[in-house]
Amino acid sequence: MAPTESVASAAVTGIPNGTGAPDCVLDPALADELWRGCDAASWGLTREEFEQILLDAGTAQNFGLAEASNVTPATAKQQAAFFRGLCVADLALARACSRGNERAWEHFIAVYRQPLTRAAIAITRSETLGRDLADQLYAELYGLNVRDGQRRCPLLSYRGRGSLMGWLRTVLAQRHVDHYRRTRREEPLTQSNGIDEFDPPAPDPLPQMPARELSLLERAIEQAVSARQAEERYFLAAYYLDGRTLLEIARVLGVHEATVSRRLHRTEKEIRKQILKDLERHGMSRRQADELMGADARDLEVNLKKLLQNSQSEAFQEQAAS
Amino acid sequence: MSATSQHGFHPDAESLSAFSEQALQERERADVLAHLAVCARCRQVVALAREAADADAPAATAPTRKATEPNAWWKQWRLVWVPAAVAVAFAVTTISVYIEQADRHGSNIKVAEQHTTQGTVPSSTPAPTEQAEAVPPASPAPASPAHAAKHAQPAVAKPLPAPAPPVVTAQMSPEPGALAPEPMDQVEVTPEAPPLSHAEAQQAPPEVTAGAMRPAYSQPAAGAWEAKQKQVEQQRQAEVDTLRMRHFKAKAAPAVVPDANQSAPAGATESVTVTAAPPLETHPVALAEPALMLGIKSPGTATTPARPMLLPSGLAAVSIASGGHFLLAIDKAGALFLSEDRGVTWERIARQWTGRAVAVRQKARVHGASPAAPAAQNGTTGSSSADAGPAPSLTEFFELSNDENHTWVSTDGRTWTPK
Repeated sequence: MAPTESVASAAVTGIPNGTGAPDCVLDPALADELWRGCDAASWGLTREEFEQILLDAGTAQNFGLAEASNVTPATAKQQAAFFRGLCVADLALARACSRGNERAWEHFIAVYRQPLTRAAIAITRSETLGRDLADQLYAELYGLNVRDGQRRCPLLSYRGRGSLMGWLRTVLAQRHVDHYRRTRREEPLTQSNGIDEFDPPAPDPLPQMPARELSLLERAIEQAVSARQAEERYFLAAYYLDGRTLLEIARVLGVHEATVSRRLHRTEKEIRKQILKDLERHGMSRRQADELMGADARDLEVNLKKLLQNSQSEAFQEQAAS
Repeated sequence: MSATSQHGFHPDAESLSAFSEQALQERERADVLAHLAVCARCRQVVALAREAADADAPAATAPTRKATEPNAWWKQWRLVWVPAAVAVAFAVTTISVYIEQADRHGSNIKVAEQHTTQGTVPSSTPAPTEQAEAVPPASPAPASPAHAAKHAQPAVAKPLPAPAPPVVTAQMSPEPGALAPEPMDQVEVTPEAPPLSHAEAQQAPPEVTAGAMRPAYSQPAAGAWEAKQKQVEQQRQAEVDTLRMRHFKAKAAPAVVPDANQSAPAGATESVTVTAAPPLETHPVALAEPALMLGIKSPGTATTPARPMLLPSGLAAVSIASGGHFLLAIDKAGALFLSEDRGVTWERIARQWTGRAVAVRQKARVHGASPAAPAAQNGTTGSSSADAGPAPSLTEFFELSNDENHTWVSTDGRTWTPK
């Protein structure tokens, strides 16, 4: 099976190639330092190919500079700051594999084959499903997928931020979640995976509180939750909707477990405080507000999941619209 | 569609991966986090990738652990340092303790007998009279074997053929009916011979040693003396000097009656010989202690270092005298050094004498003594008050002798005047 042959065209992959300053030149000293640091010669990459990979990656991301500053080429210092924030060795390997470098593929398989299979098994929690998932990804990475008459290699979307192994794991997870969603759309997601997208159906509530007060409470809850910052909403969603443990959340965010617990507790307190304040602002006494806070949750028609998902991230909305 | 998004609204795999690895910049991280807060799918992707990484981490480290198994912790070369460090620590501790003890011994200046008594114990003393010659006992610091052997001799009032220093002998022969607390009724001041050199002083047998005194006292008195001796051993030199002067002033001075019959030439070194009277035998402790204190605390003794003390000139000290916190020392070249901090720092005293200084001593003179002994000590001023006058007081001074037997005196160790 032949690997993809020079399909790393930026126009094809969607990754801009050389969109920065057209006369941008890589700093020789920096290129030499990076070349010596990544040991790319051991798996067949030439110095010229390496520099071209760096230049393409740098210009595609404008060397990490703002869009407005792309009229002037990046200085050597800016280039150094940009490339030192990347995993250059992984980036060079990914690009070399996407260009069909046989020795690079051999190196990739030697290094990543077993970890990738283990990651797939861990994600699917099944030996068979895991190996299938890993093989499927290998096929994609090898460029078997063809679009518009050209083979596409997912490795081209790797830009060096984070490790290549982390990127591979994330791609595996994406494939698994997407496959799960496609195949099990009609049934609740498995509890074993901790995937619980839908709130359990609530029994028919028997309203004990006046409808007006409940309406006030629902509105206050919506406003209080929506006003939370993104990180706090992530804590709430991961902990209460996804059922993640504090340790899992802490590992994702790179903080201590106690930090997650403390901030989650503080978020809950602030939400409660804001709800009480909102109720009092609508003419309720403090005592009435406290009593209303003790209302049966089943009396409320508040879908926290829907509430959280309705407050979409503006950044990605903008990106999607663009 | 943005380059950073996949599937429409979701961040791409690299952004999620970089977010999980804390590799995103602050702004981009905030964007991804905001998306994760509302996107269950991406939260699942991140969580699954994180789980896979955590599951892969032990597998990745397992071979490493296996490879290190042959090198068990007890076989690692670093552990060699543990016993070595313990041994070094023990050695350092031992050496430091030894040095500290040596310094302590060195700081205790050994009070040595430079001179012997000259007619100390009167032969006319009645036989029943218990005679004790109290001299300052030797320092507890280990002396040279020869010196120690000489001190061990039960030499009681052994006269020297060589010129002996004058000895102030206080005979404990109270008058009949006198009370025990006033035991001294006689102080003999004998003229002092020319001072001996350090070597001669060492060769001279001690007049009376502590060991020689013990048989002269009853057992309780000896026990008291030993207790005092231990106390002196444990204290520093300054405390020794202070206690010595205090006891001397409190007990010895009021009881000292200078003997007018004895002439005291200038520069006489004092030693005190106490002769106990028969009544003392009935109150041995009460009587013995003042005599003992006189012997111990007598300031008129020459001192020699327990071991060679190097002075700032680089030469060893041949003669040392101490008084209070003052310390005077003469090196082999005849240079005089003064220390006001017990030997920590030294000051060289300008030469104010002729010849070569060979000895320095601490002396004391008695003021306000009985008129019966106007020239009480060393022939120094004997202008004393009457019996009913104020209690006698003691003034310390230093005396320096050169190689021509000339003497200079000083009260502060700095200014010297011919005697």
